[in-house]
Amino acid sequence: MSDKVTIRRLPTGVPGLDAILGGGLPEFSFNLIVGPPGSGKTTLAHQIMFALATKERPALFFTVLGEPPLKMLRYQQQFSFFDPQKITESIRFVNLSDEVSTGNFDEVLARIIKEVEASSPGLVFVDSFRSVMLEVRNQPQGTLSLQQFIQQLGIHLSGWQATTFLIGEYLSNSDPHPVFTVADGLLSLDQSVHRNSMVRQMQVLKMRGQATRPGMQTFRISSAGIEVFPTALVRDDTGAAQEPAGSRRTKSRVAMGVPGLDEMLGGGLPSGYSMLVAGPSGSGKTILATAFLAEGVRRSEPGVIVAFEQTPSQSRTRTIDDMVRAGQVGLINTRSLDLSIDEIVQHLVALIHRMSAKRVVIDSLSGFELAVAPTFREDFRESLFRMVAVLSGLGVTVVMTSELEDRYTDLRFSPYGSAFLTDAIIVERYIEIDSRFKRVLAVVKVRGSAHSNELREFEITDAGIIIGDPVGDYEGLLSGRATLVPPVKVVGRAKLR
Amino acid sequence: MATGESNLFRESIRTALAQRAGIPDSEATANATAATWRLVAAQLAPVIGARGLEVLFERALRTTSAAFPWLAVASGSGAALLPGVAERLACQRPAEAAEASYTLFSTFTELLMTLIGESLTTRLLAPVWASPSLSSVQESAL
Repeated sequence: MSDKVTIRRLPTGVPGLDAILGGGLPEFSFNLIVGPPGSGKTTLAHQIMFALATKERPALFFTVLGEPPLKMLRYQQQFSFFDPQKITESIRFVNLSDEVSTGNFDEVLARIIKEVEASSPGLVFVDSFRSVMLEVRNQPQGTLSLQQFIQQLGIHLSGWQATTFLIGEYLSNSDPHPVFTVADGLLSLDQSVHRNSMVRQMQVLKMRGQATRPGMQTFRISSAGIEVFPTALVRDDTGAAQEPAGSRRTKSRVAMGVPGLDEMLGGGLPSGYSMLVAGPSGSGKTILATAFLAEGVRRSEPGVIVAFEQTPSQSRTRTIDDMVRAGQVGLINTRSLDLSIDEIVQHLVALIHRMSAKRVVIDSLSGFELAVAPTFREDFRESLFRMVAVLSGLGVTVVMTSELEDRYTDLRFSPYGSAFLTDAIIVERYIEIDSRFKRVLAVVKVRGSAHSNELREFEITDAGIIIGDPVGDYEGLLSGRATLVPPVKVVGRAKLR
Repeated sequence: MATGESNLFRESIRTALAQRAGIPDSEATANATAATWRLVAAQLAPVIGARGLEVLFERALRTTSAAFPWLAVASGSGAALLPGVAERLACQRPAEAAEASYTLFSTFTELLMTLIGESLTTRLLAPVWASPSLSSVQESAL
């Protein structure tokens, strides 16, 4: 057992990348970074290089014609990870354009080998192999062919005691390049434009000996470089980890901060539950969610709100603004239209940990769907499910609001079919009684708990939501046309039971 | 702060060129210029490529020729311009030749700075200006 080789994993210095690689880059691995122009290949390579290069583990960066080195240096130093101190000290650039321009691959390979042997670097980058290929169409007879060159380079790269990277443009899927077989790791970068949003994604297609995170992972490029947002992992409901959360769920209840609502829920919302508050525009969903957070603050249970709609300073939500300013509630407020759900979840989870939050509000799912890049809308339900699962794994109690078109012909709770995802549902409706619009709410579901089945009138005042009496003596309320029920009939029906 | 560093840079260029020429003589200045350029090339060519270097040199030479019209070399490009430049320097009065040589290198350095920034330029060219003796730089460049 002990004489097996131990593979060290190098932290890449790219936030989120180590997680999708399955714990970092294996030392001495030979990796390919592929993707179309502008997908961030060189930036990724540079970020990894600046993070890993030290005097003891120097880096050698070969630039081939792909991008004029002057331009590359000019633009790469805009990133905060670019540390000029490391250049010449632990990072050396070597330009191969002269060798490439002769069209002779033997020379290119010989030069690379010579440089590597001379300085025995711990990290080697070759940027990029696509341009090598294009350049060498008119190569002299009898020399290495392009395929052989890449193959040879691959073999040499794996043979050195160095962690190596070959950067190149994406080759067709149908005809995988032989170098893909030689490589230990294969990272594919992509960017897709859908309507007016642009989404960057990367995928670990291969990483020998490691359990990588499957699927496309979104990432962003900012002044700090690349940040990857790994798909949220949903923990299985097996194992010990889930049990504490489970037992917490059943025992304690969370006060909603609206007088009378806790009684309707059968004593408050069970802690760790997720609740959907559905209702038409203006029915008071955000106010209910605000009350939930305010009650948490009062009980020293910090909260976090993800706000997609009103800005916190707008009228009724004033108290959220106050709580955020006082540092009692964490706020994620976003209106950018190219988010991935994973990005939000990552920010949210980080904020929950930082604030030790117990309560989370997402206001609203409708706004969330709009904020998510069109590319991800198809998977919105699936991602929502993952998000709810991650949040419930953290043991926080969640309130999500959802805009509900007022339809009097059918009874629906959410446009996403997300009702089944949540543990509890409150529905708010408008009804017409005596030529007045009135608001009613009802608890539709509280999983594993008794709850009220009354339809209660409520008012929104400056003090918040005031729940009134059950709306008796009427029927057909949810159809929007309530009719008065003669008292006799009610008695008669009661007697029949 | 940036200007201060640039000035410091100019000073070291002037000092290094003067020390390499040894005596105030046009021929010596011409030789020092050619030798110094070879050092610059040795430092930069691996990083930005020989062609990238030539383009910068041509641009610096053209800009410098505006102040020193006699320096304009019509024929050739890149490194092929260097012998012509040395020849012309050797024909001038010593003070004029030294000033033109200094202007050429400082223009080149500034050009590089606008492209890749001061700190990176300083870092890459430090060995050229830091050591006035030619032999020690050549050794470190190898």
